Parts: sequence; structure tokens; C-alpha cells
Amino acid sequence: MPLVGVRGVSKVFANGVQALANVSLDVGSGEFLSVLGPSGCGKSTLLRLIAGLIQPSGGTIESSAGRADLGFVFQEPTLMPWATTLANVALPLKLHGLARREREARSAKALGDVGLTGFERAWPRELSGGMKMRVSIARALVTEPRLLLMDEPFAALDEITRHRLNADLLDLWQRTKVTVVFVTHSVFESVFLSQRIAVMAARPGRVLSELSIAVAYPRSAAFRTSAEYAAYCRQASAQLGEAMAA
Amino acid sequence: MSARIAAPVVLGIVMLGLWEAAVRAAGIPSYILPGPILVARTLVADWGTLAPALVVTIEITVAALAAAVVVGGLLAVLFSLSRWLELSLFPYAIILQVTPIVAIAPLIIVWANNVELSLLICAWLVAFFPILSNTILGLRSVDANLLSLFELYGAGRWRTLIHLRLPSALPYFLGGLRISGGLALIGAVVAEFVAGTTGDASGLAYRILESGYQLKIPRMFAALALISATGIVIFLLLTLLSHLLLRHWHESALAPEV
Repeated sequence: MPLVGVRGVSKVFANGVQALANVSLDVGSGEFLSVLGPSGCGKSTLLRLIAGLIQPSGGTIESSAGRADLGFVFQEPTLMPWATTLANVALPLKLHGLARREREARSAKALGDVGLTGFERAWPRELSGGMKMRVSIARALVTEPRLLLMDEPFAALDEITRHRLNADLLDLWQRTKVTVVFVTHSVFESVFLSQRIAVMAARPGRVLSELSIAVAYPRSAAFRTSAEYAAYCRQASAQLGEAMAA
Repeated sequence: MSARIAAPVVLGIVMLGLWEAAVRAAGIPSYILPGPILVARTLVADWGTLAPALVVTIEITVAALAAAVVVGGLLAVLFSLSRWLELSLFPYAIILQVTPIVAIAPLIIVWANNVELSLLICAWLVAFFPILSNTILGLRSVDANLLSLFELYGAGRWRTLIHLRLPSALPYFLGGLRISGGLALIGAVVAEFVAGTTGDASGLAYRILESGYQLKIPRMFAALALISATGIVIFLLLTLLSHLLLRHWHESALAPEV
């Protein structure tokens, strides 16, 4: 029984652009799924449809994760610059009406989980790009969601930070058992992180193929330089190439 | 930091020195152009007359600014909640802004039937538009992803307004406030010029008019200097307020990196 079932979903925007056509995809409970595709293939649109931020033009999305069970991480950290780090992480709890003491306790714990203990009173302006993204992830996880949706979250960061955040994300995933749908345009990232990759083509957006990465966790930095990794990357690149030619 | 204060002060002293030298060298009589030293002496000598007038002008300015903040801010929030309301009422706000105060002040003085109230209304009319316009802009200039985030967590329009739109609008509101501070002062002074009030409730504008009729030109200049000083102080206070509220997060208030 999948956590989210996308069934024959299409999306046409008001300006007539068909972002998605007949997309079907299952998201298994507890799995780490990447959605890989070129720019404009509708992967962000698909993520927003799953989040319920926009409605499909056709088809259905069945999800046993309600709005309250979701966490969303954008490509930009999307922090409120006028609030401290702790207040930013506490935002979902505040909007759900939790009392201040409990909010702050849970937010402090969430910050600890992403390795930012000590930065509770810092202002977003004082943080580096990688640190801001960690705050964004902490915020997404503070409600202990069942489903974590991530829209190319590390695309704007440098490679060293990206690798570190990849490792930390896998660590968090294994500890919290949250289901992750991770949108990316990077073959390397999707192979390193996921159990399964859904490859999308553009114009109109659709799922062309899937790929299972049968490699156990935890996956260390050594995995990145292994022959297995290279083979999977070759395969994923080939599938992505087909998608781009389609 | 000290250079920022020293530069204009030094220039000011130089300009005052040149002014005094020019008046003495050309032998200009004090009823045409008094030198700064005479103006300063008059300011001290006539302080008993000028100080109460200063207080009256400041009171009207501050009251008008407060009213502008309340009305401008409230209207901006209302407009952000109702597009229909905004489309209907905004043109009238513009009409109020572009109509010259000197033209409508006499009408207001007749309608209000109370001098101080009519001065307050005139000063408010001049001051409220920048706050209204800037705050509306600020309430609309919200990060789209943050809006999505608030929607995702089930925040309704009200909570989105309070926790997202209002903080986002703060820098814009403060920008409008700094403009309106000076405008409120100008409005109070101009309105009083038009009113030509008599009696105890007289501000600096009346003293300027009175000094003109009595040919007490040094006193007129002293009153003008007080108005300028008041305007500068208002601006500095509002700048300080902006700095205190924004220093942790907004680009406009952050210290440049050394």
C-alpha cells in the first residue's frame, strides 16, 4: 500500500502550458525516492501537486499523508529574515497552535538534529547558505511529518556542502524513517541518495522509466568512488539521456 | 562613524561663517538679511515667545503623523485584504495627495470650525499618502515560497497577514514613515500660514507671519531655523527607529562589511 499514489495526473496551467501529462507514480512508505529530470519536465509541479499546493487538471492523487503530515523544502532556504533561527524552525508549530515552551523545546531539538545547536538566536542573515538550508530542513522536520518533499534543495550550494548535506540527510532519513521524495536534476545526487529513481521527460512532463538502486545503507563517501556507483550513474545517465531525447 | 557626523557639521560651520562674513562685508541691514550670529542672539532673547510656538507646531506635527500612521496603515491592511475596496478607494487617496494644501486649507478651516483641528487635518492630509502607498507595496512584496509555506501549514488569511505580510511590509512602512515625518511638519506650518491664526494657540508659522509684519526679521529667521531643526530631529528620530527595528535583518539597516 503506497503512501502516495499518483494516478494518471495531468496539469495544464492557466496560460495553456501542459506541465504534466498522464503521470503515474507510487511512493512507498518509508522509501527514499528521487525524481530525476531535465529543467522544465514538471518535477517541481509534480511535487507541489503531491503537497496539495496546486490541484491536478486530470487524474487523482491518493495520499494517506494529510496536510499535517507533510514537510516541504524549497530550493531557496525560504527563511523569514525578521525572525531568529529558532523562531523560523518553530513556525509550523506556531501555526498549529502549540504553546511557546513546547515549540521552543521541539525546535531546539530539530536544530540539534541538523547539527546547528548553539545557533538558536542567530539571524538568517548571519548564516551561510548551507546552514540556512539546514534550518529549512529542520523546519520541515519539526512537525515529525510522514512525508518530506524536497525540491532541488542543494542545487544552489557548493559541492563540498552538498556532499555533507547529502550524508546528513541520509542519516536523518534512517533515524526518523520519514518518506522522502527528492527532486533533482543531478544524476550523481539521485544515485547516491535514493533507493529508487523515477526519470521524467519534458514537454509534456511524464515518467519515462524507473531505476532501483540496490545498495545497502548507510552509504559512505566510499560508495561515491566505487564501481557500483559508477555503473548506476551510467545507467541513470543513459535513462536521463533517453528522457531528454524523448 | 564620526566622519558621517563631522562632514556635514564642518560644512555647516563653514557655510555659516561665509554667511556672517558676507553680511558684514556687504553691510547688509538686519531687516533684509540678518547674519547667523544675530539670529542666534535673537533666538536666545526671544526664547520666551518662540518656545511655546515651537511646542504648538510640534504637537500638531506629532498628532498628524500619528493619525497618518493609524489611518494609512489601517487602510493599507484593508486594501490588502480586499481588492475591491482598494480599486474603489485608492483613486480618492491619490486625489487627496495631489490637491495642494494651500488650495483646500481655507475650506477645511471653514468646515472644521476649530482652528487646531483644521491644522491637524491639513497636516494629516499631506502626511498620510506615503505611508499608505509604501505599506500597500510592502504588504504585496512577500516571498512567494513563504506564502506557499504558510498555505501548506494551513495558515488562513488572518494569520498570514499578521505573521508574514506585516513583517514583510515593515521596511516599506518605515520608508514611508520617514518621508511622512517631514511632510507632517510642512503640512502643519503651511496650514497655519493659510489660517493666519491669532491668539494663544499659535505655532511657529504664525510667529513668522507676525515677525514679518513687525519687520522683526532676525526673529523670523530664528523661527525658520527652529522649523529646520525640528525637521532634522524628526528625520533623525525616525531613522533611529528604522535602524532599531531593522538592524538584524534588512539590507537597508545593516552596517557595511569592513
